Amino acid sequence: MSTDPLRDAARALAYWERRQEVASHNVANSTTAGYKGQRVFAEVLAGMNAPALVVRDDMSDGPIMDTGRPLDVAVTGEGFLVVEAGGGELLRRGGSLSLDAAGVLVDGGGRPILGEDGVIVLPAGDIEIGRDGAIRVDGEEVARLRMERAAPADLRRVEAGLWVAGQREALPVEARALRQGALEESNVHPLQGMVEILDVQRNYAAIQKTVVMLDDVLDMTVNRIGRVG
Amino acid sequence: MDPSIRTAATGMMSQQRRIEVIANNLANVNTTAFKRSRAHFEDLLYQTIQGPGVGGAGLGTTDPVQVGRGTRLAAVQRVQGQGPMENTGRPLDLAIEGDGLFRVQLPDGSTAYTRDGSLSLSADGSLVTHGGYQLLPGILVPEDATGLMISRNGVVTVQMRSAADVIELGRIELARFANEPGLVALGENLYAETPASGQPIHGFAQDTGFGRIVQGHLEASNVEIVTEMVDMISALRAYEINSQAVKASEEMARTAASMVR
Repeated sequence: MSTDPLRDAARALAYWERRQEVASHNVANSTTAGYKGQRVFAEVLAGMNAPALVVRDDMSDGPIMDTGRPLDVAVTGEGFLVVEAGGGELLRRGGSLSLDAAGVLVDGGGRPILGEDGVIVLPAGDIEIGRDGAIRVDGEEVARLRMERAAPADLRRVEAGLWVAGQREALPVEARALRQGALEESNVHPLQGMVEILDVQRNYAAIQKTVVMLDDVLDMTVNRIGRVG
Repeated sequence: MDPSIRTAATGMMSQQRRIEVIANNLANVNTTAFKRSRAHFEDLLYQTIQGPGVGGAGLGTTDPVQVGRGTRLAAVQRVQGQGPMENTGRPLDLAIEGDGLFRVQLPDGSTAYTRDGSLSLSADGSLVTHGGYQLLPGILVPEDATGLMISRNGVVTVQMRSAADVIELGRIELARFANEPGLVALGENLYAETPASGQPIHGFAQDTGFGRIVQGHLEASNVEIVTEMVDMISALRAYEINSQAVKASEEMARTAASMVR
């Protein structure tokens, strides 16, 4: 008898373990502003009985929470803000911005947010950020935020809510929808995460039962069949 | 299974920190000029467990598989929103409506900053905070002065018992910072400058970029109990769900171990 079914079962167990890792990561980030959940799919490849792991990003919008803080910015439509990090450019969905000691507009990790003319330095005064990314201080426009978009398949995750994209393009002004004084919450619903975890656990247990059963069959084949007396 | 237990544990730790921040906010709901803080989280490093590639004949391309490793506390951010004005009727209570902080001198000679303007007079008649720290620049109130008045732009005047006219004693100076949340809290409602806050910019109340001084009022804490309670419920639930994830991962490990009989 072939032991292939056992191998397939082992592969399936590994698949559900990965799924559990992703589910844990999602619930751990259910209160991380701007976080986009990961979804795991199984893809059955030709010639393989066990599922292959496919992780996709759920880019749906998270709920918008009003904070009233002038430098909290939520992207309520498509697109990302552009951030300078380590000499390169990364993308992020809005966030809790602030001014550093030199008045440079930075994200939570101190990385400069880029405007159409590069790094944005704001003078003191009442800061107003328009829907289209125009930044006005005391009513006078001083800078305009750069916004870009990328195809979901081109986006890769970096830590801290940052994304890197191979192909990007500027987001046209009419497609921009920034909201000042608000944050985009995580799009992971805790309950959904909980259901996923339960689901994983049940499936994992079911496969384990299958392995035990296969083991029984092997046991019978090896130790009982052919025994005389 | 270990990675998923650790991942969920990062979620529990983050929520615990969030509760600590909320507890401190709630404890300071009646603290003059207190600014509430807010915990901020970010997702942790992703591990690419399978790079993008092209499968065999007819299999097409495969996307990379990135698995995250949880969350961490990114920052505890002070929310500098204006607190409500509370009328106290006490002439030495000052509130700042708008930007700016009072400057006070610490015993070691360094300068600290505060928005808590509940002042009093020291034994020698100078204006001090309720902690006994001298307001900068020092303003000396003569012994026989009555009717202390502080204008919206910070000019301190008194009426003398001996004379009918009003005497100007000095003008309260304020400071503001490019990045006010970068100030470090010293306790006693005092803040100190840091490299993150930048150098203080001195000026007077009602100058450009500065608020005005309101006599007879104190700025109350900007903590809103309802907001904090809602945040606390959210943190508690998130903590519970992460602990369930830990439990489920542990259960799976047990299931795996039970395959060997």
